[in-house]
Amino acid sequence: MTPAPFPFLSAILLSCVAGMLAIILIPQDRQVLIKQVAIFFSGITLLLSLYLFIAYDRGLGGFQFAESVQWVPSLGVNYSNAVDGFSLPNLLLTGIVFFTGVLTMWELNNRVKEYFALYFLLVTGVFGLFMSLDLFFIFVWYDVSLFPMYLLIAVWGTTRKEYGAMKLTLYLLAGSALILPAIIFLWAKSGLNTFSFISLAQPGLFSRGSQIFAFLLLFLGFGILAGVWPFHTWSPVGHVAAPHGVSMVHAGVLMKIGAFGVLRVAIMLCPLGWIYWAKLMAVLAAVGIIYGALVGLRQTDLKYVIGYSSVSHMGVVGLGLSTLTVEGLNGAVFQMFAHGIMTALLFSSVGYIYDRTHTKLIPELGGLSRTIPVASTFFIVAAIAGMGVPGLANFWGELVVFVAAFKTYPVLGIVAVLALVVTALFMLRVIQKTFYGPQNQRYARLQDISLWLGTPRIILASVLLFLGFYPSFLFDVIRTASVPFMSGLSASIPQLMMSGLH
Amino acid sequence: MNWITAGPEIFYFAASLWFLLATFFREAPTLTPALSGGRREHLTGLFLASLGVLVCLVSVGQEGFLFIRAFRVDLFSQVFKTLIALGLFLIVCICGDITDIGERRHHEFYFLLFTCTLAMMLLVSADHLLSIYISLELSSYSLYILVALRQNQSFGLEAGIKYFLVGSFASAVMLFGMALLYSTSGATYLADMARVLPAIINQPAVVIGLLLTLTGFFFKLAIFPFHFWAPDTYQGAGNQVAAYIATASKVAAIAVILRVVASAGNGSVYLVHALVILSVVSMTLGNLAAIVQKDIKRLLAFSTVAHSGYILLGILVLSPAGYSGAIFYALALLVMKFTAFMVVVELASDGRNLQIEELAGLHRRSPIMALALLVSLFSLAGIPPTIGFTGKFLVFVAAIEKGYVALVIIAMVNVVISLYYYLLAIKAAYLLEPARELPPLVVSFPKKLLAGVSTAVIVFAGFFPYWLVQLAQTTAQTLIGSR
Repeated sequence: MTPAPFPFLSAILLSCVAGMLAIILIPQDRQVLIKQVAIFFSGITLLLSLYLFIAYDRGLGGFQFAESVQWVPSLGVNYSNAVDGFSLPNLLLTGIVFFTGVLTMWELNNRVKEYFALYFLLVTGVFGLFMSLDLFFIFVWYDVSLFPMYLLIAVWGTTRKEYGAMKLTLYLLAGSALILPAIIFLWAKSGLNTFSFISLAQPGLFSRGSQIFAFLLLFLGFGILAGVWPFHTWSPVGHVAAPHGVSMVHAGVLMKIGAFGVLRVAIMLCPLGWIYWAKLMAVLAAVGIIYGALVGLRQTDLKYVIGYSSVSHMGVVGLGLSTLTVEGLNGAVFQMFAHGIMTALLFSSVGYIYDRTHTKLIPELGGLSRTIPVASTFFIVAAIAGMGVPGLANFWGELVVFVAAFKTYPVLGIVAVLALVVTALFMLRVIQKTFYGPQNQRYARLQDISLWLGTPRIILASVLLFLGFYPSFLFDVIRTASVPFMSGLSASIPQLMMSGLH
Repeated sequence: MNWITAGPEIFYFAASLWFLLATFFREAPTLTPALSGGRREHLTGLFLASLGVLVCLVSVGQEGFLFIRAFRVDLFSQVFKTLIALGLFLIVCICGDITDIGERRHHEFYFLLFTCTLAMMLLVSADHLLSIYISLELSSYSLYILVALRQNQSFGLEAGIKYFLVGSFASAVMLFGMALLYSTSGATYLADMARVLPAIINQPAVVIGLLLTLTGFFFKLAIFPFHFWAPDTYQGAGNQVAAYIATASKVAAIAVILRVVASAGNGSVYLVHALVILSVVSMTLGNLAAIVQKDIKRLLAFSTVAHSGYILLGILVLSPAGYSGAIFYALALLVMKFTAFMVVVELASDGRNLQIEELAGLHRRSPIMALALLVSLFSLAGIPPTIGFTGKFLVFVAAIEKGYVALVIIAMVNVVISLYYYLLAIKAAYLLEPARELPPLVVSFPKKLLAGVSTAVIVFAGFFPYWLVQLAQTTAQTLIGSR
């Protein structure tokens, strides 16, 4: 563990909290000032996360920029943060999506102050979870990022917003209802009276039975948030109902919290449980991939399409996490990042279209590439990325995961690759129907996207392209965590690398 | 007997005497002609209540016995006395405008409030079966009358009678239980019982006696199946009285249950089984029944039933961690419930019963009240980082430490269920618009300050719980240590 020369991680959290407080203090009618303050503070978090990503010592690996303060010593709760190869990409992802999410909502004019205050609170929770090394705080940040979602969706959302908000909140809280007992269970069983991740990650601390039990609870609890089939139904409804900036964070980052939680808490603390339940994880993931693709095929609302494609792509992440290999973990974390950016770009583009046309229904849109070519390009780039086309980031994530999946579960691997075909099918269909084909005369006079409004989309698309051509930028960092973890594991559990488990 | 040891009790006795004397001199010329009668009473009450909090804070370190060891003064009792005094002070703060009790009754109102507080202080100190009984009865009788004082005769009287009948029945059952305990153990002092009971704890008569004795306190805490009075009483009583019952009265009940269980409960499997059933049913029933409520006070009543279930979970683990969880939860409940009731009182300035749909548009009418409501409801649901979450967390930690994992999962499922109805209220405040255009709410600066402070306390104590957790743990230690 390398201590931090300067508490960068807390600085990220602090700038989110400071931003929220600053926004609360600004009077309601100074809307432009509120938005400028929001851009300022979110920009700081982006710069800090970018700095941390670049400054991370890839040779040294392990947990860096660590900071720790005792919180409730009698229970073993510490406020401790650090980043490693697994959390750093997610931290950067959050910074990027946060900043572009703020820019995307530049045209909001309804209760602006409350929106941005809640938005900042939401992202504080997300940042906090990724950087936290204390199980108690991981849970606290999980719920902090959960309850603003209700208000954000219920007040500023669109289609079926009250239903979507309630369903999302209750479902995700049900997930936390499984996580909290599991965390306290691990605390009690360890006998160490601590919630610290580092202390609890020592091998051999928990019995096999405890690990299997805890892993199941944690997998289900975090898996609900990650959109694991069949507990994913909150996700498309929530995506559709939420305002664009919130959808970006929701699909782009919130679902990654679930996958990251499975990785950080369930897999790293209960590896024997991981081995035991891996087959089940893989099956659920593969079903999710196919299911998301097939259901997405039938959707007529653009946001529903994106929502179901999210379920499908998160299935790829789940598949990667279930292969019990280094490549699987690498691919899963890479896919988390790539999908996050891609889906943020998708929602951002749809947001622009919706703001102009006030509809997201595919039958009503058409030929948009002739009316608003630049705005259409962004959506098309993201959709192509979602299909796994080489040259864009998602290709690498899916490739690595599928290779790993073939090695461990050949049948499921084939199923997943077939799902790629279905994904391509529905993405192309959406592009064709929405952007090509006959123009809907009602929207023939739309104004194309300006440079200022296009900035967030340009940023996101550039990241996709950059990683598409230079994936090792991300893989180098991920490998510093996945390789030591898996080799440490296989040292203590010899049967790990063999196929045909249990 | 050292008089200072009985400081809080003497103070509150004097305070209630003051109000009693005030009723005799109601028609006499007053020293402060500028103030109206109601205002004057309120300021007096406020002054005496705040003085009471100071007296309790000063007496926190006291230790000793009162009245031939019938009352024990130790850190546990003094901490709870401070909580009760704080509860009274907070309630008196929102009593500025009691429109639903006639002005000529204001003296009696404050008299009864202070008497009830006095009774609760005696209750948390009580160390003898009879002193428990007397204190409990004194507090109950004060509350019966307070409930019935409401000017709208049908509401107040009906609620008062329901409360009285259920309460009398509960006391009768409790007396029977006490008689059983005495006949099997030969002890009437709790200290003696702690010595004698562990040996005979598995006799059916003892278990039943213990459960029946606890019935009296379960009634006060609104645990199933002794909770039936709660919704109707909260709805029928004036808003401030309902607030008082929901906060201070529950704190006292928790204290006395802790004392009795800590001294008598260890080692009895049957007692734990019974408490488990009561806890689970209270949680579930309270949460499920609250979903369909349209009246906010009824909703808060059922949520109190659910919270009593969580607290009982902390008590039944019979460990210092569980007791400290219950103590922390008592403090949390005081603050959270008070904040919720404060918003209700502020909105229903004419003293009427507030429906959930009347919360509509609150975010525009008064942002700070809407925020207070939001934070208090999320805290009641147990969402971090609030004081309600920390309380639940401590209880869950204690429970899992002793192996009650299934119970904790059930409790968490209940948390999810409870969030549904809290979200309905929040939705009304933040999302819905009222059917008719309602005027903006003019909130006086002291009320805004109070709302701001209580919101800040809820969030702060959830995020930095260290001091309060330490306090709860030290208090729980005295409970164990004295046995």
